[in-house]
Amino acid sequence: MSEWYKSFGNEGDIVVSTRIRIARNIKKIPFPARMTAEHINEVNAIMKKAAANIPEDICGKLMVIDMNSVSDEEAGAMIERHIISPEFAHHRENKLLLISSDESVSIMVCEEDHIRIQVILPGLSLETAYEIADKIDDALSKEVEYAYLDQFGYLTQCPTNLGTGLRASVMLHLPVTSNNGTLSVISESASKFGLTVRGLYGEGSKSSAALYQLSNQITLGISEKAALDNLKSITMQIIKKENLDRAAINKITLEDNVMRAYGILKYQRILSSEEMMQLISRIKLGASMGIIDIDKTLPMRLLVECQPFMLQKLNGLMSPDDRDICRAKIVREHLE
Amino acid sequence: MLCENCGKNTATTHIKTVINGVVTEKNLCGYCAAMSGYSKFVNNGFASMLTSMFGDELATGNIKEHRCECCGTRFSDIAESGKMGCSECYEAFKNKLIPYLKRVHGTTEHIGKKLNKTSSALATVTVEDKKETLRAQMLKAVSEENFELAAKLRDEIKELEGREDNE
Ligand SMILES: [Zn+2]
Ligand SMILES: [Zn+2]
Repeated sequence: MSEWYKSFGNEGDIVVSTRIRIARNIKKIPFPARMTAEHINEVNAIMKKAAANIPEDICGKLMVIDMNSVSDEEAGAMIERHIISPEFAHHRENKLLLISSDESVSIMVCEEDHIRIQVILPGLSLETAYEIADKIDDALSKEVEYAYLDQFGYLTQCPTNLGTGLRASVMLHLPVTSNNGTLSVISESASKFGLTVRGLYGEGSKSSAALYQLSNQITLGISEKAALDNLKSITMQIIKKENLDRAAINKITLEDNVMRAYGILKYQRILSSEEMMQLISRIKLGASMGIIDIDKTLPMRLLVECQPFMLQKLNGLMSPDDRDICRAKIVREHLE
Repeated sequence: MLCENCGKNTATTHIKTVINGVVTEKNLCGYCAAMSGYSKFVNNGFASMLTSMFGDELATGNIKEHRCECCGTRFSDIAESGKMGCSECYEAFKNKLIPYLKRVHGTTEHIGKKLNKTSSALATVTVEDKKETLRAQMLKAVSEENFELAAKLRDEIKELEGREDNE
């Protein structure tokens, strides 16, 4: 399997990716905010050993990455690929990252919790992603003495994650419902089910690329299955609504909007990150509506690979001005 | 406006909560807001909620500064940071945490995946072993015409089987 942003999964026209994250901690070792360097070394040693004993049929062999050896640019590129959190990148000194070769499985060691198991798959794939994370959790539980109480479940540094420690999310492309105001109504109703919606790739809650993340908030008093079922059912409703609203747009207006974006992307010479995301969002919509004939995996791949750090990871370090020129060239070449 | 809870102090905190779709609105004074497990920073994350909930109490020194025996964290540290010190803090500060957990999750009982201290394969073997032993004892009792003991052993086996079915 290849990385989430290079693949097109179930409901891929709207659901870009699915992410499962499970928080676990080790009994009696202080939580990350209170760890000394010795504690971090101790947990690193435990996790290195534990990772080696995770059966390879789950996710292949996990590579161990010493985050001390990761440059700022590489760390930034990992954030852009959603492999690590900005917090982990920022405080990466002496930390460890375990990662599968296709990057679908990663384990951040000593991020907000001692262990953060993460599985990202393309498209809508909650059950499969959870199953993988769950197997890894089972394997680790045989190697590591987890912090756990019958009443509270899995103990986490922040009580907001207490219980299952499960945060499941889907990344949704919602160019129409986010534009016509329907998304705020959806967000309101999602909150009643203990779910939240937030924008990705943009400033604050807005998303330049109309990409939104829907995730569960409640982890105590709800089973993993119920949390996933909730998330899935709201996701299906959002997909339905987005599709209905897409179909209701005046055809020529929609075509004009898509073709203008397509035209600019094909001929521009300087492309900022912000403009790239806005235009890519429009051609992703166009591709899924059958207005333009491009590889359906291309929009997300370009969107991720043209982020500032990814761009430099793939094309070498350069100044912000040169990046805009390089980005313009790459996008142009892919759309020829 | 007076606090809707105590009716004495001025209400400084407007609380709007949505739990499982039910919206509740209240005007409380800082003290009652803290004591009832609500806060004016409801939407600003856990740390600020803890701080605002316990701010008054911490300022008046009502919280005894007892420390987690494992990591030395005080409850005031947790209130300030929104972070527990270690796994043992959950036992040490259990009672103080309950109102927050109710507030954040709407409940205080975990019903998700359980941690198996022993692997499930191992547990099954143990039950099977036990049943084998009991069955042998029962056959022996029957052969000795000790039917009272045999019936008792049969019930024990049944109980074990019932337990397995429930698992
Ligand atoms: Zn009051
Ligand atoms: Zn502690």
